[in-house]
Amino acid sequence: MSKISKEKMIKEFIKKVKKQLPGWLKERKEHKEILDELEEHVWQKATELSGTGRPTLESVKKALTQIGTPQEIAKEYKKRGEPKIYITKEMWPLYIKVLGIILGLIIALNLLNLIIIYLTGQVNDSIIGNAVNNIQLGFLYGFTIVTIIFVILSMEGYFPEDFLSKKKRKNRRKAIELAAKEGRPVQPADFLTSEPFIYPASVIIGGSIGLIIGFLLVFNIFPSFIFTDTFLYFLEIVGLLLIGESILNILRGIFGNNYPERHQVIHVLLIIIKILWMLPFFYLLNSLYVSSFFTEIFMPPEIATELIDDFEVIIIIILIIIPLTIIEDIYKIVKLQKYIKLY
Amino acid sequence: MIKKIKGMDPNLKFYTSKIESEINRGISKLCILAIINQNGDKGIHGYQILKELQKETGDAFVIEEGTLYPILRKLEEEGMIRSQREEIGRKKKFYYMTTYGKKVFNYLEGFLSKLIEAIAPLFDIKVKLKIEKYIFCPMCANKIEVKDVIPKFCDVCGYNIENEIRKRGLKIE
Repeated sequence: MSKISKEKMIKEFIKKVKKQLPGWLKERKEHKEILDELEEHVWQKATELSGTGRPTLESVKKALTQIGTPQEIAKEYKKRGEPKIYITKEMWPLYIKVLGIILGLIIALNLLNLIIIYLTGQVNDSIIGNAVNNIQLGFLYGFTIVTIIFVILSMEGYFPEDFLSKKKRKNRRKAIELAAKEGRPVQPADFLTSEPFIYPASVIIGGSIGLIIGFLLVFNIFPSFIFTDTFLYFLEIVGLLLIGESILNILRGIFGNNYPERHQVIHVLLIIIKILWMLPFFYLLNSLYVSSFFTEIFMPPEIATELIDDFEVIIIIILIIIPLTIIEDIYKIVKLQKYIKLY
Repeated sequence: MIKKIKGMDPNLKFYTSKIESEINRGISKLCILAIINQNGDKGIHGYQILKELQKETGDAFVIEEGTLYPILRKLEEEGMIRSQREEIGRKKKFYYMTTYGKKVFNYLEGFLSKLIEAIAPLFDIKVKLKIEKYIFCPMCANKIEVKDVIPKFCDVCGYNIENEIRKRGLKIE
């Protein structure tokens, strides 16, 4: 009876500690080890306190009181970062980066809004003023929300690496262990080598699929009665651009995790291709009212006219996505710079 | 230490315990490393670390139980120590120093020794470093054990310690 109560008492205590542990720790398998170690500690302390070589119910109670409350124990795991104006020093660079991304996104969205207003001919005197107001207001909301989130994350002891995938965290762990074994401090370069900047197989597969689709578009596989000549011409141009982009992606895959400078050059070429991608879509957007996509045989003009608005929305969405992928390429070029220093 | 005293002026207690915690924070880490280092390849588990610390310091320096494990976890994350679970019995977790940890600890040990020696007169205390057992790098204070053969350069800062070795009539590696 006494044994069950002792064990139950300790289990209850451990359960309470687990509940109080910070989120980043609870997400890791490691928290089980921490709790096991704590449990072992309680048993050893209780054994010693009993003075008989065996833990008693009283000694367990005493040990649990001396160890501290579950809140106090869990709180120690939250004291992880170095404080810096309510946000820890470790979280600060990520905080600034997120604010930068938010500001960039707000500006980009407002610019796109201006382009759409211009293209749809709804221009008026106050659009620039409105855009500036929207940017200010958007950033103010974004800044407030992001700051509150980062203060809470800092209080809970989160580090930027807690937001990495399990695989990346495992690679980092290995890098730390290797450096410790070699008797040197872990360097940012160790993390970079443990995190590949490209997954060659997926890029080559993606590129190959793009290449096949590109050739199918260029060699016009569609029956002639479906699309208008203008649209077929558009598809051929798109096919050519897709072939170009796919070849570059396959090349990236072949270079693999080597030659970061070559990867940078490829990304510059990809940006050029993506800018070229936008031209046929702009052309299509402007010629929507003169020609439709489908032949009269395939789709009667009255139905095609009804669908014009939907086509317009699709093209605008594509025109929004392309600049975003260009931003991604620019980000990759900047990120690759770190690898150049490493190689 | 002061936290345990009852009936003290609360303001004085608050201020002194705050400074005490600040001083203890860095030293706790160092003391834990010292005990793990002393146990070498044998390794040591958490509870034993606290017991040895109490024994070695005559109960004068106490690390709270709740504080010990987060520190051990952090040291392991930083690559200073490594851990291994017992394969039999209660599967206790044993801690060992890594090569990197040993190197850092040697330096910190030297730094602290020299620092205490330097500030001792301010507190009217006498500190005598065991210079017959160790060479302290003149550049970074790294603690180098006196052995039959000693490397020519400090393994932390790379400073040439040839003169120090010759002065003591020791052999250079």
